[in-house]
Amino acid sequence: MKPLTFAARSLRREFRHAELATLALALVLAVAALTGVATLASRVEHALLASAAELIGGDLSIGASRTLPQKLVDEATQRELKTSRLADFPSVVFAGEASRLADVRASDDAFPLRGVLAVRDAAGAEREVHAPPPGSVYVEPAVLSALALKIGAKIQVGGRDLVVAGEITRSPDSGNLLRLAPRVMMSLADAEAIGLLGAGSRARHRLLVAGDEAAVADYARAIKPQLPDGAEIVTIAEAQQNLSSAFERGGNFLRLAALLAALLSGIAIALAAQRFARRKREEVALLRCLGASRAEILGALLLELGLLALPACLLGVVVGLGLQQLVFAFAGDLLPGARPAIPWQPSLAAFAVGVAVLFGFALPPLLRLRDVEPMRVFRRDDARRAGRFDALYLLPVVVAAGLIAVGAGDTQLALTLSLGFAGVAAASFVLGLLLLRLVSGGGKLLPGALRFGLANLARRRALTLLQAGALALSLTAFAVLAVVGPSLLASWRAELPADTPNYFLINLQDEQRTPMQDRIAALGATNINMLPLAVGKLVAINGKTPKAEDYNDRRAASWINGETRMSWSQDLPPSNKLLQGRWFAANATDDTGAQVSVDKMWIDMFHLKLGDSLTLRVGEREIVATIASIRGVRWDSFRANFFLMLDARTGSELAHSTIASFHLPRDVSLASLSRDFANVSLIDLNQILDRVREIIGRVSRAVISVLGFSLAAGLLVLLAALAATADERRFESALLRTLGAHSAQLSAAVLGEFAALGLVAGSIAAIGSAAIGYALATRVFRFESYTPPFASLLAVVFAAAALVAIAGWLATRRIARTPPIAVLREG
Amino acid sequence: MTKNDEIVIRADKVSKSVDGPDGRLTILDDVGFTLARGDSLAIVGASGSGKTTLLGLLAGLDRPSSGEIMLAGERLDTLDEEARARLRRRRVGFVFQNFHLLPALNAEENVMLPLELEGSTDARTRAGEALARVGLAARKHHYPAQLSGGEQQRVALARAFVHAPEILFADEPTGNLDRRTGTAIGDLLFALNREHGTTLVLVTHDTVLAERCARRLALDGGRIVDAAAA
Repeated sequence: MKPLTFAARSLRREFRHAELATLALALVLAVAALTGVATLASRVEHALLASAAELIGGDLSIGASRTLPQKLVDEATQRELKTSRLADFPSVVFAGEASRLADVRASDDAFPLRGVLAVRDAAGAEREVHAPPPGSVYVEPAVLSALALKIGAKIQVGGRDLVVAGEITRSPDSGNLLRLAPRVMMSLADAEAIGLLGAGSRARHRLLVAGDEAAVADYARAIKPQLPDGAEIVTIAEAQQNLSSAFERGGNFLRLAALLAALLSGIAIALAAQRFARRKREEVALLRCLGASRAEILGALLLELGLLALPACLLGVVVGLGLQQLVFAFAGDLLPGARPAIPWQPSLAAFAVGVAVLFGFALPPLLRLRDVEPMRVFRRDDARRAGRFDALYLLPVVVAAGLIAVGAGDTQLALTLSLGFAGVAAASFVLGLLLLRLVSGGGKLLPGALRFGLANLARRRALTLLQAGALALSLTAFAVLAVVGPSLLASWRAELPADTPNYFLINLQDEQRTPMQDRIAALGATNINMLPLAVGKLVAINGKTPKAEDYNDRRAASWINGETRMSWSQDLPPSNKLLQGRWFAANATDDTGAQVSVDKMWIDMFHLKLGDSLTLRVGEREIVATIASIRGVRWDSFRANFFLMLDARTGSELAHSTIASFHLPRDVSLASLSRDFANVSLIDLNQILDRVREIIGRVSRAVISVLGFSLAAGLLVLLAALAATADERRFESALLRTLGAHSAQLSAAVLGEFAALGLVAGSIAAIGSAAIGYALATRVFRFESYTPPFASLLAVVFAAAALVAIAGWLATRRIARTPPIAVLREG
Repeated sequence: MTKNDEIVIRADKVSKSVDGPDGRLTILDDVGFTLARGDSLAIVGASGSGKTTLLGLLAGLDRPSSGEIMLAGERLDTLDEEARARLRRRRVGFVFQNFHLLPALNAEENVMLPLELEGSTDARTRAGEALARVGLAARKHHYPAQLSGGEQQRVALARAFVHAPEILFADEPTGNLDRRTGTAIGDLLFALNREHGTTLVLVTHDTVLAERCARRLALDGGRIVDAAAA
């Protein structure tokens, strides 16, 4: 036997049967959804990284408290990478008698390597520039208003007069909350000549590197051992928390939709394979009888599947790539200048997953064909080994679990989906059994045709349970996609309501709090939130000095070596969630001692737990605070948030300023504010807020397009499940009609049977999808509030029952039209 | 060639019983006979007498509960299912009451099946010849659903003889056909049998067909009640 020829011929002929077409279509859908989403995610990630590079001014930044050695520059030059040196330091700048603390950036004229530095000159014309030439500076508008200067005037930096050559309108790291003062840009040569970077300076030196992605990565690896003490590499991946968090959530949404499409396809494949195998039994028996070995038969079957999988998966990849190209055309606008190439890895992975899904879900029924006895050619008995547990049936479960684990890319998402769907499967089994018992017990009271329909369910026990399970799973996925998904997206949008803070004020002094509050309220500000801010240093953990090398997380070093900001408040601030322990009691006494509430990320990074002590130095004071609670902080909430929150009594005794956030309509000018509160820095978050909102909007649209795939897969499952019963009822329907049943009776029987199935499956789906939605909202997306849309889900139950009944009736109507003799003759 | 070499089938004290809802059910009880090369045997009896079960056991499609069967010089009870399949592939042909043509294959492809299983390189040519022999050269591209019952059984005969088996097992080959077509199929079966010198084992209700066999074996309740030579 030539298995390949045999398989090819079988495939060619059998493709006209619905099962193989269903198999192929399900596979195309699964691979398309996976390819589309994975490719899109990868490209958006690349584009995001490129966009983050624009925000830090290069692809890689090496930071240190001393000038970085020349050999790092030479090494980069050798690798044909571009470099730029810069130094950031705080300095008070003067204009006559007026003074202002400024965040000075001194850089060589290569800066920025990525992104745009733009200034407005005296004539009001805006142009893109590099660092200012020696003898001049560029300043942010706040400096001009604080010092009452015009472009062209002189300011003193480090005792040297420099000309203000332009007002900065765009710079790579705008929106950085860690900056305490408005920016002044000067040339690195000037800063060195003036002596601003000498010994004892508080400058943070940086070397920016940019170039080919792989070359930059190689460079980072190569220079790591040569870095001076205290120097650290910052990659662009770590650069932008607000945006990456939005993308991460968007990615989770997309992965959720793609995974559901793949799982639904798996179910459709399993159902179609079941039918296919049933039809193949006679053929296998004959081939066994004619002397084909089990290995040959299985080989031909597997080859047939393989021949089907290859073009279907390829088509899926093509469709998926087309889809992502379409979506990227929209999403790409978000990421200026970035047009990353289409990566091939996601397509390959989706192809492989497609094959795994096909074989994982289709193999169990096909491998059962090896048990077909050759004697079946004489006797069509289905001697089933009832009750025998077949480990093979664990295969789809393993594949599904593997798919979820790999595809989710997020443990919580994987866990939520696995448990959710396992729960739905278990519930459908239990409720299915209950339905069978009800039908066989109480069905006698029902009218004849309906009773006959329900009796059908009881007679095909195994098939009923299988169908109830498949329907419940697919309807759950359906409800998650169609009802829960949009409600989750709405919750996401609601996270950034119209009054989301779009301005921050920092360096506000205690006595300025009330006047500032009155002033901004008068301007029309809403959602005003003020929190004290103290800057200190982490000195010890449980009495021991922490060392950066003791922690795996590289970010630990920046907190150990650098400054830490902390705040305090009577109440738990908004966008914070208490995960463990209790918020500080209002009536704390002296005996309580200092307490601190710590963000989960810090807890994980420094391996902390409740009751541990942190020693913090703020100015001259040193406090030892016990960890009283652990918080989950939403860092993308556009509010002032802190890793460390002290109890109010301890905090109020520390040297501090105030940070305020508020929402103000964009057309309100804040120029007078900067002038009247000269020490206060204003940070405008409108630009970044716009980008996050835009990302949410575009990701939502992308999700909806992927949802389309998943819904198509769901529909396919439904049809496959119904087609399976259509086969079963062909013969009995013909027989009943021969015995005189009229078509209304047959229709009533079918409608009754399917409505009962739909009701059970729909109820499970409504409850299951609500539970999955709630778990997704709280555990995966971490929304502040989410209520599953119960009314819509209830509608799903009835719609499902009706849909299943109608679809079932349509599927069997064809049978009713076939002359009974044609069916009976087939035997 | 010795007399013993010419024995192609030997059944010795063959019994078959299965577990039924009312306890153990004996289908065949102590059946024994021999069949020489080129011989033809009709197994007759009422429905449920065990005819088809005996045919299945002789062809190695199932194992007896006790007793021994020799087929083409091999003791079937010493062979596993795969070895029995190899034996059938080389030396056995089948004809069934329900024809058992694969609906997905056309007439020619159906006839090619046993040759392809053997790994034959000229399967298509030989299948064409076999179809021509049964008078269906013009319909080789038709699918089973496009053929009448008699035509389907002729395709099945072509398939049964195409690889020149030593032994042919036929289960009610005319059972699904009208008398006239049945007679024609019977004629063709015996003609092919003569041409190929095949040993034929035939299960049938059709007394006319049974009488055309050299020997007859009558079963009742799983036991041989009559063994006669024509």
